Amino acid sequence: MSGFKLSYLATAALSGVLFGAGLYVSQMVDPLKVLRFLDFTAIPTGGWDPSPAFVMVPAVLVMFIAVRLGKQRQAPLFDTRFHEPASRAIDARLVGGAALFGVGWGMSGICPGPAISLIAFMPDNLWIFLVAPAIGIWAGSLVMPRATPATVAQ
Amino acid sequence: MESFTPLSATIGGTLIGSAAAVLWLGNGRIAGIAGIFRNLLPASHNALWRLVFLVCLILGVFATARLLPGLGAGGVEPVRLVEAPAARGIPTPIWLAIAGLLTGLGTTIGNGCTSGHGVCGLARLSVRSLVAVAVFFVAAIITVTITGIV
Repeated sequence: MSGFKLSYLATAALSGVLFGAGLYVSQMVDPLKVLRFLDFTAIPTGGWDPSPAFVMVPAVLVMFIAVRLGKQRQAPLFDTRFHEPASRAIDARLVGGAALFGVGWGMSGICPGPAISLIAFMPDNLWIFLVAPAIGIWAGSLVMPRATPATVAQ
Repeated sequence: MESFTPLSATIGGTLIGSAAAVLWLGNGRIAGIAGIFRNLLPASHNALWRLVFLVCLILGVFATARLLPGLGAGGVEPVRLVEAPAARGIPTPIWLAIAGLLTGLGTTIGNGCTSGHGVCGLARLSVRSLVAVAVFFVAAIITVTITGIV
């Protein structure tokens, strides 16, 4: 029951602030910035913006080092175990879900992190992009049985 | 190419990676925003850290935008959501609602998003996440090409 400990919640708070700062500084909260990366038709004309790749690479690298460091420990600092997603299945559910998400992402330039981050700016129509995903999550949990906690990439 | 911002992108990416690292080494949790949002309910002792994380995510964006106006989005020019492509004849609110539905549905069925499968999954060398990332990037690129949203 580490969920109420101050150190545990402070870690979640620090992580959230860093994540938000990173999304802002990298401009990943700007849907158009993301779409200009996803628009490969602009590559021949020179209008393509590869910046998001420069966000992804260091993000993965830093986390990769953290995962390595974590492997040398029995447990994280403030919990009894690492909550490693257990599922290894590469199935229709994974591919189908990722494909649906990709279409939604390509239509909007908004993935879940920026959707919530944009509350800081409250642009027009944002409420639609908060309510609709919530309905999508609800529908998804009806269509698919809820994964066991261990398999969810929480 | 005037919109290419490799320096701020690299700094921002490092911050995002650090956020994921802090949550992993501190609490042993994956910083996947879709998963964190989805598991806010039911409100249990495991929901509290998720709420704290998401509130601080918004505060982090808000504070950085105040400290460094114009560096990221929302400084000089306000951030805007996209308009539906005029040629498609779909009103923007409907367009955004469909996109949002697919985002919520897809990340629930596929168990992850750009942060969960993207940043954390790839760093964990998860083949499952690699497949998910490849699929949603290709789907998004095809969608942008077909819809002409940019």
